[in-house]
Amino acid sequence: MTVPLQAEALDISFKLVPAIIVFLMMASFLVIGYVFKVADTEGMWVAGRGIGNIENGMAIGANWMSAASYLGLAGLVALSGFYGLAFIVGWTTGYFILLIFLAAQMRRFGKYTAPDFVGDRFNSPTARALAAFTTLLIAYVYSVGQARGMGLVGQYVFGLDIIPMIVVMMTITVGYLALSGMLGATKNMAVQYTILIVAFLAGVYVVGFSQGYSTILPQIEYGALMADLGREFSAPFVNQPFYIWIATAFSLIVGTCGLPHVLVRFYTVRSERVARWSCVWGLFFILLLYWASPAMAAFGVDLFQATTGASAYAAEGGMSGAEGDVIVVLAAQFANLPTWFVGLVAAGAMAAAIATTAGLFITASSAVAHDIYTELINPEATQRQQVLIGRGTIIGMGALVTVTAFNPPALIGELVAYAFSLAGVVLFPMFFLGLWWENTNRQGALAGMVLGLLIWITSIINSVLPNYIGALGAAAGESGALVPIYAQYVPPIGAALIGTPVVFVVTIAVSLATPEPPLETKKMVRQCHSPEPMGQQETAADVVGDSTSGGTPADD
Amino acid sequence: MYDNILVPTDGSKTAENAVDQAVDIASKYGATVHALYVVDVDATSYSLGTEQVDRIRQGNLEEMTEINEDADEATGYVRDRAAEHGLEVEEHITAGEPARAIRKFVEDNDIDLVVMGSHGRSGLKRVILGSVTEKVLRRTRLPVLVVDVHGETDIEE
Repeated sequence: MTVPLQAEALDISFKLVPAIIVFLMMASFLVIGYVFKVADTEGMWVAGRGIGNIENGMAIGANWMSAASYLGLAGLVALSGFYGLAFIVGWTTGYFILLIFLAAQMRRFGKYTAPDFVGDRFNSPTARALAAFTTLLIAYVYSVGQARGMGLVGQYVFGLDIIPMIVVMMTITVGYLALSGMLGATKNMAVQYTILIVAFLAGVYVVGFSQGYSTILPQIEYGALMADLGREFSAPFVNQPFYIWIATAFSLIVGTCGLPHVLVRFYTVRSERVARWSCVWGLFFILLLYWASPAMAAFGVDLFQATTGASAYAAEGGMSGAEGDVIVVLAAQFANLPTWFVGLVAAGAMAAAIATTAGLFITASSAVAHDIYTELINPEATQRQQVLIGRGTIIGMGALVTVTAFNPPALIGELVAYAFSLAGVVLFPMFFLGLWWENTNRQGALAGMVLGLLIWITSIINSVLPNYIGALGAAAGESGALVPIYAQYVPPIGAALIGTPVVFVVTIAVSLATPEPPLETKKMVRQCHSPEPMGQQETAADVVGDSTSGGTPADD
Repeated sequence: MYDNILVPTDGSKTAENAVDQAVDIASKYGATVHALYVVDVDATSYSLGTEQVDRIRQGNLEEMTEINEDADEATGYVRDRAAEHGLEVEEHITAGEPARAIRKFVEDNDIDLVVMGSHGRSGLKRVILGSVTEKVLRRTRLPVLVVDVHGETDIEE
């Protein structure tokens, strides 16, 4: 499926006030980033002046909620009705697994990047390299959705054609990140969260109130519209079969727990307690948007029908994919709200996309500069070399993402879901087994990761590439997939439903068949999930290293 | 004339190049050599993630063992060279934007002379890569001895 390039119903023209809003927003990110970077280093040594749960929770919210949450979620609900709910379920449930099984344990392990964890836990440079490669791939696929979202809403504000618009928005974002990585600093993330949540909720409340849909709780009141919208939105499994619904939700759940740019937040907090509470606050801040998202979709669909006088139902030639992707902005536009207000809603989408892109690009740059270059190629790398490599990665990846976003294979939400599948298939089993089963060893991890990558990549080759490569397209024929049965059960969007259990089984089987990992590693794993609380700035490695005479981890 | 001489170092050959000069001057005046390693927050951000900058700002630099090892290796070189001449050495680690952090250190520690290496970049390279040395030169009122890596020495960059 190739998505139509731009949203026909959107009012595409240059608008001065919204442009000023966007400009001020970007300028504020710049200023905050600069102040953070050069802030007097004196306060630095004051221990305990840590980042609180709420601030960290907001940062998790901004890092997490991208154009896919802001725009894509409502878009999927607007286009596919009940199927869209799989995304809401998937993108929130994952946090429970994160909270119970990973957040505090990751804090205990106490490393820097996701590939760091994989490399150190499995004592393998190859595993580190595979994890770094997966991180890059996730960041790339994930960011294509962001570039697309920024381009689409940018059109409302600046009025360029879609391709130049994507280029402009990505150039600004990438340029910023290449000059300073400080967009991802907690303070900046918290501001980005505030902007995006205020813009989104203002949009929902004002549209709902001004159009008479809702008063104080649009999150619930939109239910009254359901009868008008028609069965195709509320009836289960009309637009996508049961299997895809489950596969999508499952992929998003395990993907959430495997995303490198989400997990890094937990390494840095003061204590495991803060790690847990940040997770809870993060989920709450995310829910503020997710509760309101279906309401915005419902308002948007109803207004679309009222404005265009046609059925919005996509299968009947109603709303196009691009229109669905900007339904949040379209709803505000159809409600005849002033352009500055619609511009604010659009600016919120940009804040969401920029915050997540920053998080993703920095994980990509660290995967290359730290995990691949410094750890594997040149251990003597100076800080300056790392900066150069990091900037180079950001610019290279930015160019690749921009070009791919010109003609994306799917909707924003679906593109991002591909990245989740990948994270769920390859990284989640490594994190989970790595932290909870001490006998997981190098051979098991390598076998599992290679297999996981293979499952995901073949799924993409099977279902997505035929749209781009003529020869594959011809071979795929009508069904659009090279091997239809594989596409049916291992679709890119839900590859984890089969992929993740298979990777678990293979990792466990290979680990059992090969020698156990060294005792040192096992002790570290025990320390990570021991019920005994750990000191604030300790890591599992410290505890294991300190304990002389073969020290006993707390749960022995 | 000089009591406290600062040698900022990032562990690179360029920086190490300046150490001999610093040690030589210090032994003439019986000065204390201060070796300073600045954890560049930009490098931290690009190679470890921006969250780690927050971690440093929270005062948790000590728990970041790899960074401390790098710092120790860099300042250790200065320590060893100075020790050969029986000089007094102090090793320091700080974090921030390098030129600013150096300037701040100079102000807080009664430094009388800064000795640092330079790549001697010019033109486009200078625009892209910038120069910590140049910034320090412009922003402090102290004497700064710049040892060009392309100078008389045959040490490769």
